[in-house]
Amino acid sequence: MPDFVKVAQVGDLPDPGKMILPVADRLVVLFCLDQQFYCMDDICTHDGGTLGDGELAACQITCPRHGAKFDIRTGEALTMPATENNLTHEVKVEGTDILVRLCED
Amino acid sequence: MNLDTTVTTELNQAAFDAFLEMREDPGWLQQQRREAWATFSQMQWPARNSEEWSRTDIRLLNVEQYPLLTASPAATLAAQPQLNQGVDLAGQSVCRDGHSAQVDFQQKWAEQGVIFGSLDQLATEHEALVKDHLMTRAMNRQYDRFAALHAACWTGGHFLYVPRGVVVDEPFHMVSALSDGQADLGHTLCILEEGAEATVLTETLSEEADDDGFHCGAVELLVAPNSHLRYVNLQNWGSRVWHLAHHNAIVEQDASLQWTVAAMGSRLAKVNQHVALTGKGADAQVNGVMFTEQRQHMCYQTLQHHVAAHGHSDFLYKAALQDRSRTVWRGMIKVDAQAQQTDGYQRNDNLLLNDGARADSIPGLEIEADDVRCTHGSTTGRVDEELLFYAQCRGFTRTEAMRVIVTGFFQQIFDRVTIESVRNALGEAIAQRVRDYA
Repeated sequence: MPDFVKVAQVGDLPDPGKMILPVADRLVVLFCLDQQFYCMDDICTHDGGTLGDGELAACQITCPRHGAKFDIRTGEALTMPATENNLTHEVKVEGTDILVRLCED
Repeated sequence: MNLDTTVTTELNQAAFDAFLEMREDPGWLQQQRREAWATFSQMQWPARNSEEWSRTDIRLLNVEQYPLLTASPAATLAAQPQLNQGVDLAGQSVCRDGHSAQVDFQQKWAEQGVIFGSLDQLATEHEALVKDHLMTRAMNRQYDRFAALHAACWTGGHFLYVPRGVVVDEPFHMVSALSDGQADLGHTLCILEEGAEATVLTETLSEEADDDGFHCGAVELLVAPNSHLRYVNLQNWGSRVWHLAHHNAIVEQDASLQWTVAAMGSRLAKVNQHVALTGKGADAQVNGVMFTEQRQHMCYQTLQHHVAAHGHSDFLYKAALQDRSRTVWRGMIKVDAQAQQTDGYQRNDNLLLNDGARADSIPGLEIEADDVRCTHGSTTGRVDEELLFYAQCRGFTRTEAMRVIVTGFFQQIFDRVTIESVRNALGEAIAQRVRDYA
């Protein structure tokens, strides 16, 4: 299992907010919502859109390419055209450091 | 050539000027490079939302981390090529880290006027010949920023010229190798004059299976009337190599090209393969084999462009995918208005060995003539569990059964490949990669 790696610091993101970050061999989106942090793969499972460029509303991110919505807490695909859930990753906060551990597929 | 081993990774005007200064290119080639550099400087890297790149994410590629503009002498090759095993060759050209390391060429073919070896060297020794053909007709240097970068900064490379009527009955072997973290911007140029015949086996490899690297290359195949070329390209880079390439061919009247592509390695491969059938009765057959694993991503964009009448093209790409890998195949048959009686066919078959792998298959037709036969097909599916069960009932383990099924899947391609060493190498490479997903 991969280790936790520091990706950002508390305060780097607004609340609510998001940012795209490289972790190991992929790009992920880090979300901040109600002082909680969530992380998922940046690529939309429908057709490769960049979720990090989409609109964040409450706990839902909308892919800017075709409008698919995902729950940022679970990665669940909420609307068409996405039919496949997105991959989420573990996040923890130690002090002011935000750490992410990539979940294996 | 100045063998100063200074390495720079920045891509700016000063670095490019220093790169040109290190080289001993003839004036026309320097000019071609400068024009390409000007194009490169004005262009942007491909946009995420462009149709061609919408499914291929290169945001993690940092081109400037690789030493592109070097004049380092090449060390000898440690990794073993595969396609030349047990084969008597007409010649072998080896490049490492983008520079020519070794050339062997049988005198008997040189006496018949065949020219073979390092493109870097032969661009100077056979200036007029190379100048007429290097990136003048087949390759579009302005296609995208990678094409412009390649045209400005290519080094090493391979060259073959077969004169009129000469039939070379032994294959040529071209090898491009990378050591960890290095770059290859090699260009391959093959010119067959009227009535000539040749076979070319090319392969790319890294020293170690998980090596990093960057390839921004190009291939140009010029097949004159009544000439026949069999060209094999095995891409077997390390698993962290970025592979961006433009492969182009022009097939003239009554000429034929059989092009076999095998893609096994790399972290991400994006290849544009364009074949133009410009003469009446031209024939092009492309056989593509892809095997992806882990998180590999391979995107092949092919074009069969029928310019003249009575042309025949047949593109068959087969891919087996496992783990979380992904392939994207976008094929286009384009028929110009005067290309009547065209017979064009393209097909892409994908075999998914487990959940999580994904294949996108997007064939297309753009036809302006009204008396043609153009067909395309695509299949994507999982391995049939009943087939696996049937094989296991007869004593196969599940892994053995999977291997046999995958081999059977590719058999249609193997049957079309007329070079035994290539069939053996591909079959073995694929069989080694199949894993058990019980």
